Amino acid sequence: MIKVEHLYKKFGSNEVLTDISTDIKKGEVVSIIGPSGSGKSTFLRCLNMLEIPTSGKVIINGQDLTGPKKDVQKIRQGIGMVFQHFHLFPHLTVLENLTYAPMKVKGESKSLAEEKARALLLRVGLAEKEKAYPSSLSGGQKQRVAIARALAMEPELMLFDEPTSALDPEMVKEVLDVMKDLAKSGMTMAVVTHEMGFAREVADRVLFLDHGILVEEGKPLEFFASPKTERARDFLEKVL
Amino acid sequence: MNLDFSQMVPYIPFILEGIWVTLKFVIVAIILGSILGTILALFKIGSIKPLRWFADAYTSIFRGTPLILQLMIIYYSIPQLTGYDISPFLSAILAFGLNSSAYISEIIRAGIQAVDKGQMEAAQALGIPYRAMMKDIILPQALKNILPALMNEFITLTKESAIVSTIGYLDLMRRAQVVGSDLFRNFEPLLFVGLIYWCLVMGLTVLGRMFERRLKQSD
Repeated sequence: MIKVEHLYKKFGSNEVLTDISTDIKKGEVVSIIGPSGSGKSTFLRCLNMLEIPTSGKVIINGQDLTGPKKDVQKIRQGIGMVFQHFHLFPHLTVLENLTYAPMKVKGESKSLAEEKARALLLRVGLAEKEKAYPSSLSGGQKQRVAIARALAMEPELMLFDEPTSALDPEMVKEVLDVMKDLAKSGMTMAVVTHEMGFAREVADRVLFLDHGILVEEGKPLEFFASPKTERARDFLEKVL
Repeated sequence: MNLDFSQMVPYIPFILEGIWVTLKFVIVAIILGSILGTILALFKIGSIKPLRWFADAYTSIFRGTPLILQLMIIYYSIPQLTGYDISPFLSAILAFGLNSSAYISEIIRAGIQAVDKGQMEAAQALGIPYRAMMKDIILPQALKNILPALMNEFITLTKESAIVSTIGYLDLMRRAQVVGSDLFRNFEPLLFVGLIYWCLVMGLTVLGRMFERRLKQSD
């Protein structure tokens, strides 16, 4: 579904990603882990062109995002993204946050968009909050709304950029539960996370990045039990 | 102390008519200034270099020269250069609209840039087109932040409108001068229109507060 080939990203003279190649299959859940500053988030943001790669290819469903004259907007509609700091639209109610893009971008009718939005809110356990504004929600609730907002566009792929890093500890579980549920339903997911528990339990594959290099990838059980590289061993010793 | 407002009484309807005359061009100038200012602000934050240069040069010229000079240039030069006999009303709208758009564009630019960058990224990630994102996501949030500064600009414009009296436009200020020279008493009519200007500005302030409260409902 996603194919990444020799991806490089530089900010000025600072090389953040170096020659990354991998692919993610349909229905696969991939966790991207690594120390801070390792380029995890930049890598994720290159997958929907929030960062433009300096060179290399990102191919999604056969379409090269980095090719000339690609309709990035169109491709983004099929890719949901969840941010560390939620980025809900603060001047819109929860329901409006969910219905705005489907109505505006896909031309869905208001009644259809609202019907689907209510179903999604039910799914993330926030049905009673549809009229609330984001400022009245807790961090965990905001993130669940943000996940629902991304799902409202019916994406084939979901990107999560440290979705639980800005949350109070007691709220991490409610967000992870929603993500686990999503993974079970067969959604293709790429998750940048510091939650090793999630990576181990839910992910089909773990990518370990360090200093912008894809150092190691593998099945979570093998990776966490016996990492092949020195750097991954070091990292796991520190975080586990 | 020899204050005598009684002599002014017959002139009061004449002066009061000036309220509408002043308001008429102030309102049009505010609308023109806001529309142009928004467009200029979008030029300034956009990625098209010539438009950015244009907007910067425009702002620099209109902020860098006196408003009264701009008014005079428009009023006197257009007939001289084109032969079109421009009315004081049109000159006033143009001068005030063009001038305030320079200030408003700076206010709006700052407001847009103060909106969290994540808002734009969230909108982009949902595939929302640029125009819709600006109109429905970014500008409403910017407006909330800049409302006090914008009200300030509108208040300044309302008061500064008095300088159109210099091109013979019969606004409040000009009417006070006319009455003054008719009565050979200037203090009373000036005091009277001063009060009217103050009331207008207070009205504007109350309106702004109400609007601000409405925008705050999402907090």
